Amino acid sequence: MIIGLILLVVLVFIVGWVLMVYNSLIQLSVRIKNAWSQIDVQLKRRHDLIPNLVETVKGYMNYEKDTLERVIKARTQAIDASNIKDKAQAENFLTQTLRSLFAVVERYPELKANQNMLKLQDELTSTENKIAFSRQYYNDEVMRFNTRIQVAPDNIVAKIFSFVSKDFFEIEDKAQREAPQVKF
Amino acid sequence: MPFSFIEIEQKKSRLIFVVFLFLVFFYFFTSWLLLLIVRNFFFAYAFKEKFIFTFPSLNHSLITLSIAFLIGLFHWSFSTSNLIERISNTIDASPVDTKDTYHEYLKNIVDEVSVAIGGRHIEAYVIPTSALNAYSLVDFKDNAVIGVTEGLLARLNRSQIEAVVGHEAGHIVSGDSFNTTVICSLSELYKETVSQLGQATKEFRLRGKGGALILLIFLVLTIMNFLNQLLNTFISRQREYRADAIAVRLTRNPLALAEALKLIAEKWNGSSTKGENIESIFIVSPRHNALDENLSFVSDLFATHPPITKRIDILLNMAHLDEKTLAENIAHMVRVSPVAKAEYKDKSSAKDKRWFVFKRNQWQGPFLLAELKELEGLLPADWIRIEGQDSVHEAFNDDEVSRLFGNKDADKGEFCPCPRCHANLSEIIYEGVAILKCDYCEGAFVDHNKISRVLVRIDKTFLQETIDLAATISKTKLKPESLKRIPSKDDWALDCPRCHKKMRRQFFVYSYPIEIDRCFSCDADWFDKQELEVLQCLYQNKDKFLLQDNINTQI
Repeated sequence: MIIGLILLVVLVFIVGWVLMVYNSLIQLSVRIKNAWSQIDVQLKRRHDLIPNLVETVKGYMNYEKDTLERVIKARTQAIDASNIKDKAQAENFLTQTLRSLFAVVERYPELKANQNMLKLQDELTSTENKIAFSRQYYNDEVMRFNTRIQVAPDNIVAKIFSFVSKDFFEIEDKAQREAPQVKF
Repeated sequence: MPFSFIEIEQKKSRLIFVVFLFLVFFYFFTSWLLLLIVRNFFFAYAFKEKFIFTFPSLNHSLITLSIAFLIGLFHWSFSTSNLIERISNTIDASPVDTKDTYHEYLKNIVDEVSVAIGGRHIEAYVIPTSALNAYSLVDFKDNAVIGVTEGLLARLNRSQIEAVVGHEAGHIVSGDSFNTTVICSLSELYKETVSQLGQATKEFRLRGKGGALILLIFLVLTIMNFLNQLLNTFISRQREYRADAIAVRLTRNPLALAEALKLIAEKWNGSSTKGENIESIFIVSPRHNALDENLSFVSDLFATHPPITKRIDILLNMAHLDEKTLAENIAHMVRVSPVAKAEYKDKSSAKDKRWFVFKRNQWQGPFLLAELKELEGLLPADWIRIEGQDSVHEAFNDDEVSRLFGNKDADKGEFCPCPRCHANLSEIIYEGVAILKCDYCEGAFVDHNKISRVLVRIDKTFLQETIDLAATISKTKLKPESLKRIPSKDDWALDCPRCHKKMRRQFFVYSYPIEIDRCFSCDADWFDKQELEVLQCLYQNKDKFLLQDNINTQI
């Protein structure tokens, strides 16, 4: 009788604990989803800005057609990418092509002084920053989630309900937003 | 640190409930005490009865309790309605002006940080003072506000401002911004009452009667002051450390925050931020007297903010740097002004740039911009060519020339004639602020709320001529007799460009004796050529000029 009661208490305790862990894991993954949509909003904003940019630049540049074409191609690739890894790769490529485009723009003083161009450049920089921040938020959340499903004893619950670790949204340009320099 | 909004919600409602209970209890206690005093001493004093000490009965106490509850409820509902608007009014803060380069820049930073905390919308506000400070507010409807002062915008660089905004965002996500907002608005009402009651007592004292009343009021004052202190203890001072930590996590840059704090502490110029009553919402206390930096136990107990040096130490520890490097970093600080870009645009339209115009089947010109303006029959669709360039484009496609059409066409926009030469004023960006300027006489028409922004910003490099003029004016300021203006009929000579009423000639203020023409209905000033620059120069170098004058008089 007593043993039965103890077993019952233990069982209730275990079920309660499993539920708690499960709920918090679900909460974390919902937050990751939200963080991802944040990135998506910013990426979409960038994709929308690029046609305007290309239109503005086109009139001034006669000899740099392939730079422009590469930007357009990179944009299409980025829009078409479906999973997170591909998307990260395509966006990196897009960032690179945009950077080379802005390097070319430097050679055209008239274009540089163009109001429209200045505005677009500002907006793209701002969007770029926001992408960086939203990526940071996303990666922080993913890290929290991945750590959570790997540490004991939560990993047992994670295994039972088959939570798998999520992909980070990584960038190749590591120098851009790294932890502060550490000196010993 | 709880980061999920649900956890914060729970924590927040619990604390707020405790605060409310405390409020009711306090009212009960105070009124019960008053009852006790009135019962025992006042009657004895007034009716010369025999003095017997008694406690109020249970019935009376219960009535007091219900009255206290009602008063508490009233106080609560008054203080918590329109939280953000009321507190913003107290400290003179207003939402960003989208036409202002600096404000746009702040809005961008706030937007970026709001993305970093997971996309919660945050409104950006600005306080027009030269002090360096920042604050955050959250109300019951979860509207969030981050505000900074003009001085902070003008003096810190982008990563430092980002760190400060990150700190404020830290308050918002950790939920203590909400607590602080509510508690501050509760105690703000007290301070108001206390100061008004103080006035009243003074008047009574002057008339020399009502001894018992004075005693009563004095008692109320003391208790209310005490309540303020108690309310403030609900605001944890750990919150500043916590917000610093979140800021570092958001921006990944402890050094920038340390720099910002150091600069804020150093370049502090006291009195300019209002809102000493509600100091808890700020990043550093607007009072910031010696008490705050004193590490003794008593001062530590009553200060609303932890000492800045302690905060900087923690941040430097995170960055593995020492104070020497921090000082060096600040000395070599690079600040890219958001206005610099706008000025680059202005430079491209250098005065000697000239255009050819294709008219009557031939190229005419070249003309200067001012000449083009006078040219009859120039149409937006006309072909023009910049001197020294091959490309031909339509006039409306040229940034500078297209501006002329707007000016010529009075119907399109508001026609603002220059009070001196009656040409239309054009909107230009000066120090990031959109002001109206005459292209001919170079006078400027500036709204009052914009003047304070211009004065604070330090991007303009002054001509030597301007500096000399400002120094001279600063000298004459010391002789009050030279400041007397003789009224003349010219004092009402100029028309306001906006409302066309007469403007009055007067000094800007007596401490900055520059003659301007003021329109009282538009709340704006007309500056003749260079006067705005001189005023700005005078304001920014006031200490330097004063020092020079002192040296001169000593010699």
